[in-house]
Amino acid sequence: MTRFLRHETILAVLAVIVLGILAYQSDRFFTVDNLLNQGRLMTEVGLVAILMTFVIATGGIDLSVGSIIGLTAILTGVFWQSVGLPLPLAALAAIACGTFGGFANGVIITRFGVPPLIATLATLALYRGLAEGISQARSVRGYPEWFYVLGQGNVLGVPTQLWLLVLTAIVAAIVLGLTRWGRTVYAIGNNEVAARFSGLPVDRAKLAIYTASGFAAAVAGVILVSRVSTTRSDMGTGLELDAITAVVLGGTSIFGGRGTIAGTVLGLILIQALKNGLSLAGVKGDGTIVLIGVVLIVTILISNIVHRNGNR
Amino acid sequence: MPGTTDAFISLTGATKSFNGITVLKNVDFDVRPGEVHALLGENGAGKSTLIKIISGLYTPDGGTIRIQGETVSFSSTRDASKRGIATVYQELLLFPELTIAENIFLGAYPKSNWGGIDWDTVRERSRALLDSLDSAELDVDTKVARLSVAQRQRVEIAKALSRDARVLIMDEPTASLAEADVQRLMDVVRALRARGVAIIYVSHRMPEIFALADRVTVLRDGALIGTKEIGEVTEASLVAMMVGRSIDQLFPKPEPIIGDVLLEVEGLRCGRLVRDMTFSVRRGEILGIAGLVGSGRTETALTLFGITPAEAGTIRIDGKTVTIRSPKEARDLGIAYVPEDRGQQGLVKAMTIRQNVSMATIDRLSRGLFIRFADEAARAVEAVKRFGIRARGGIEQPVGQLSGGNQQKVVIAKWLETAPRILILDEPTRGVDVGAKSEIHAIIGELARTGVAIVMISSELPEVLGMSDRVLVMNNGHLVTILDRAEATAESVGAAMTVAKNRKDAA
Repeated sequence: MTRFLRHETILAVLAVIVLGILAYQSDRFFTVDNLLNQGRLMTEVGLVAILMTFVIATGGIDLSVGSIIGLTAILTGVFWQSVGLPLPLAALAAIACGTFGGFANGVIITRFGVPPLIATLATLALYRGLAEGISQARSVRGYPEWFYVLGQGNVLGVPTQLWLLVLTAIVAAIVLGLTRWGRTVYAIGNNEVAARFSGLPVDRAKLAIYTASGFAAAVAGVILVSRVSTTRSDMGTGLELDAITAVVLGGTSIFGGRGTIAGTVLGLILIQALKNGLSLAGVKGDGTIVLIGVVLIVTILISNIVHRNGNR
Repeated sequence: MPGTTDAFISLTGATKSFNGITVLKNVDFDVRPGEVHALLGENGAGKSTLIKIISGLYTPDGGTIRIQGETVSFSSTRDASKRGIATVYQELLLFPELTIAENIFLGAYPKSNWGGIDWDTVRERSRALLDSLDSAELDVDTKVARLSVAQRQRVEIAKALSRDARVLIMDEPTASLAEADVQRLMDVVRALRARGVAIIYVSHRMPEIFALADRVTVLRDGALIGTKEIGEVTEASLVAMMVGRSIDQLFPKPEPIIGDVLLEVEGLRCGRLVRDMTFSVRRGEILGIAGLVGSGRTETALTLFGITPAEAGTIRIDGKTVTIRSPKEARDLGIAYVPEDRGQQGLVKAMTIRQNVSMATIDRLSRGLFIRFADEAARAVEAVKRFGIRARGGIEQPVGQLSGGNQQKVVIAKWLETAPRILILDEPTRGVDVGAKSEIHAIIGELARTGVAIVMISSELPEVLGMSDRVLVMNNGHLVTILDRAEATAESVGAAMTVAKNRKDAA
């Protein structure tokens, strides 16, 4: 267990250092308002990344999540405006469709034995194409005021969606760390054949995880619509890479078998803090991306060096 | 007195430690041209360290290496290879997508006048090398991917010979070979010896050692126990040297207590290699399954265990007809399967002993979804004690760090956690050292006495004959015969395997 936590410790120290520097650089960074707002901004990636931790820990990957966000967003608007469903029902129907998208990924991967990278690369194109086809390049606006509570409002002084993110993170950490489902995830990621030979429900677990990943992306899609007050078909483009970056930065092995929710949350916080802090310090967007790339590489290198020394 | 004068290569006082743990201390070893020198010891005794020093992979911390009397030091395998030392590893290191000829000369291709690779010479010399290994059936243009393990091994040997190897190190060369291929390999080794090659032969299998070796060296816990002429030792004395105690009986089989029929299989079919299998096993009985590799033994087990569910036929347990479509269903019916490939199918090597022992019973060790960690740890501690699993880090040690025998005990422990009524063991002692082997045999015997019906698949005839109450012989997916313990001898079982083969060839 200590060895598993070592990466998270490095990451936590790094996060504290970064937060310290950023607070020193700009007096607007370390304010309650700013930090809560950053929490709001990272919720969509966060929800996706938490479920992505499960996917990657089984040795898989889900590239289609960004497209599922786009599809869900479009469907919410279309179901409400064109089909004429009440908005709550429209959002639920859209979430159901997004969840089905994740389920379809799982079926392709478990039933037909397609490698996750290829299966979800294909559905990344497929779902985005559907979103664009359905939207006809039109955006949907003018949602009722109450709908913005989800993406722009507060509950007890904290952004609504941040509650959801925190709750999801806690539940996910418990499932991965303490339950037999979590154990199954690690067993599959380390050695799928042996997991199968031990009578573990390998296919069922993978199907459930890809479905849950689609569900998380779909919920993130609705939150995104509520936050930006509009619906466009290119929403969520590239978000899958942000989520994967957070997961890998958080110490989850891309080969599967290792990783924690705590690590992913730290990864998310670090990335969001860097983005925000650097923009407050006047660094341009390109510079921020470069720096995030550097942080990713450095963290993994440090972690590898420490691990290697620990093992010898 | 080791013959340092006529030895091709000799080590004196070889010592090596990692992280302050000495794995080889003060070992003398030498091998002469035209000699097969067997190297024996339990896993972890220092055999692999010793051969890695000889092949240049490790630099010893102390001691000297001499080649024909001249002191040398190797800083890489390349250095060693230049001095004529070649190794045929347990896991073969060929490139499957290249042809036999390409593999043999890889890294040392003969050049033509204009500097390109002289393919005609490559193919010609490959042909000659293979012919000299009595392998006329191998075409030099075949891709290695299409070859059997035994054939790949001969390509490896040809590769070593192409570099003018004077010393050939063979690390458990017969571990994954069928009996017929073993005979053929032994002929190759004898031919090499006659040509004056010095051969270091690492193996667990006693019959091979007595058939091949001129001298034998035993290591234990990193120390040299002794080097003897083969005439001076017996199987029992070698085992005693290896384990440091004498093992009274190689197969301690207690008097069986055989009960009613528990498992009945009738007309079982699945794919090409399970054709119309009909047999039964009683409580407390050990049914051995013998047959060549690829005869359908493992496939029969996989069908019973639900990995490849049956296409036809009936399976009855306790008289009730059952269907088995997944390992979980098999487990719930009281069937356990200890698989053939420990590393791939049996264990999750990166996970701990605790997590592996509980893997097949994690749902029973949970309250709702939550794992009862204290119970899980207690079960693991119990298993470590019961089976004598030797692990420095206790139950939190990753199983990948354990020796082969201890890994196998973890797999067995995992399946005994399910309290099986029927236990299928596939090659239960493959790659396991002598001490652990007899411990595993004792465990199997004990289980049978508690009324478990046992099906044991093994390629080692002495094991099948020593352990089984009845022996089922398979060939090419068919059941050939079932022999009682009294009728099952090496001759009768061996004959059953080959007679069937001839009959099939004639048809």
